[in-house]
Amino acid sequence: MKKKMLAVMMSAVLVGGLMAVPAFAAENLSDTTEGIAQFDGLEAKEAYDFQIVVKSFQSTYWQAALQGMDQAAEELGVTYSAQGPASESDIADQVNMLNSAINGAPAGVGLAACDTSSVLESLQAAADAGVPIVAFDTGIADAPEGSVVCTVVTDNTAAGEVAAENLYAAVKDQIGNGTVRIGEINQDNYALNIQQRGLGFINKLIELAAADGYTVAMEGNEFYVDAAEGAVEGDADIILEVRVPAQTTVDLCSTEAGTILDKEDTIAVFGSNQTAAEGLLVANDNREVLGDTVVGVGFDAGTSIKAAVEDGTFLGAVTQSPLMMGYYCIYALTAAANGEELIDVPTDGYWYDASNMEDENIAPNLYD
Amino acid sequence: MTKKKSIFTQEVIVGIVLVALYFIFRTISSDFGKYTTFLSMMDISYYYALMAIGVAFPLITGGVDLSIGTGMICYALAGGCLIRFYNVPTGLAMLVSVLFGLGIGLANGVLISVMGLPPFLATLCTCMITRGLGSVVTGSFAIPWPTAKQDNGWFHSIFKITLADKTKLPLGLVWIILLMLIMQFVLAHTRFGRYTIAIGSNKEAAILSGINVKFYHIMVYAVSGLFAGLASIAYAAVIKTVQPGTGAGMELDAIGGAIVGGVSASGGYGTIYGTVIGAYVILFLKQGLPYIGFNANMQQIITGFVLIGAVTIDIIKRKVIK
Repeated sequence: MKKKMLAVMMSAVLVGGLMAVPAFAAENLSDTTEGIAQFDGLEAKEAYDFQIVVKSFQSTYWQAALQGMDQAAEELGVTYSAQGPASESDIADQVNMLNSAINGAPAGVGLAACDTSSVLESLQAAADAGVPIVAFDTGIADAPEGSVVCTVVTDNTAAGEVAAENLYAAVKDQIGNGTVRIGEINQDNYALNIQQRGLGFINKLIELAAADGYTVAMEGNEFYVDAAEGAVEGDADIILEVRVPAQTTVDLCSTEAGTILDKEDTIAVFGSNQTAAEGLLVANDNREVLGDTVVGVGFDAGTSIKAAVEDGTFLGAVTQSPLMMGYYCIYALTAAANGEELIDVPTDGYWYDASNMEDENIAPNLYD
Repeated sequence: MTKKKSIFTQEVIVGIVLVALYFIFRTISSDFGKYTTFLSMMDISYYYALMAIGVAFPLITGGVDLSIGTGMICYALAGGCLIRFYNVPTGLAMLVSVLFGLGIGLANGVLISVMGLPPFLATLCTCMITRGLGSVVTGSFAIPWPTAKQDNGWFHSIFKITLADKTKLPLGLVWIILLMLIMQFVLAHTRFGRYTIAIGSNKEAAILSGINVKFYHIMVYAVSGLFAGLASIAYAAVIKTVQPGTGAGMELDAIGGAIVGGVSASGGYGTIYGTVIGAYVILFLKQGLPYIGFNANMQQIITGFVLIGAVTIDIIKRKVIK
């Protein structure tokens, strides 16, 4: 009898354990659906006017986000004005723009923060003035209570992990016969989305390597070196070198990428956003090693990244859905202006390569 | 008896510094000596060298042109828009970019020479205008120029050619050297060049001696704008996707290059070959320091000190002459 009871209990534990895996996956899925479902039947109570503060207009990524906003604004009968600093490095300019936007007492402000810590004071002012903030593209972890009412972002850690998984699968046969180098170009080390993406890639790569019995040592930018989890000091099977330029420009990213591509032991490089990935491609122009001896992985889209994925220069890239981010940002702002309580809206990210660029869930996110 | 002129002019010293920098970087990092690294450095050097050649003229008159960095981006955006949205042939779009630069240069000249605005202020205004204009023209969106593989991407071969055995040659360097020689000749051996130096040495004396200072002042800024226009083509060929709102700060590298290369910070003296060598010193620092483990922030600090050194030499030189 005792044996029978034990068998039943063990079966229950096993079944429970098996159930737990899909349940975890389903939880994430329902979060996404729930986030979007809250906007079902949404109508604007007034013709609201919103202020949008983007990181810059440097890349076509923002063009796609604004297209999504236009579509949502038209559907809901609301309006918005978008502004952003000249480059994503112009943090002070963006803070000034944000302050002016809040001072104008709009129905709400959509914010993609260049530097998440620099906007905290402005967010407190928004909370005091009763101006709801919707954070999109980049989450703001330490936002003052009552300021950010909804966050519409890709899971950047997961996006970085997807890049690491695909890159690692392509190069793992080359690991173990002496030290090899994998590079990562991050355009900065202060924006939360780039930090999460960069560290998502680093930590997943360390985890995958460890599972195969390989060690990883970090080199390069101090922020990423210090924040990496599980790296070893000294000799290792893989050197993971992270480079960050002084400013978020393609030519400075290309210089940093060039220093990695020139190293004989480099087997792969990841450019963690459009500017970094384009810099990687500029550096490859003369070296022509990507798609040959070095595996390249990009992020986002844009004409040159898409062409590189198509012709095999890049193994693939991870695209977010800036269009949907822009779209749901306006929906969230409208719902907030109506006085509704909101939950966060995670938006999708996709791995794409030459084989699936035309797929219906991928193609609309591959902006020029 | 005239005193024998020292062969160690600032241009020669800077030339030695350039060679020394190359060997220092190459010694510390073997990757720096690779041909592909050299090609990449040349790619990026063209637009800085072109801007530096142009801005040397206003600097020699004792002025400055702060609009060349944002201007270069604005002209590249305008040309890119014509190709992308209006199917304008690449050659015509390139011509528009260059003429746009010339136009802004002429406007700078008129503001400074006719309306009497200080060069710093006038070109700061056009710097801001071109920065904004680039965003307005493109609706604030990045504009990709045709790639080398596309039919209308032939302009890439102006700067780099690929031989049958796939060896790439930095053809742009030939144009830079040619333009350097032409503009050096213009500066040293034509009326325009002599008057440029005369205006920078003593503007009042130039006016009293009957030189049409207003006209030549306008021309000086037109040259600067024209070269910023040429730089925009080189930029589009290398970077491919031109981002509005960028370019600010690039003019400082070009101006810094000219000063390092011996152009007097207070006007009246300068050479174009010195300017080009100086621009390459700045570029070597920018490109080489990351290879030896310094990040780009350190490069800015070191470049600042190099400029202090160059200006100090200029001040000492003037005191010795007096």
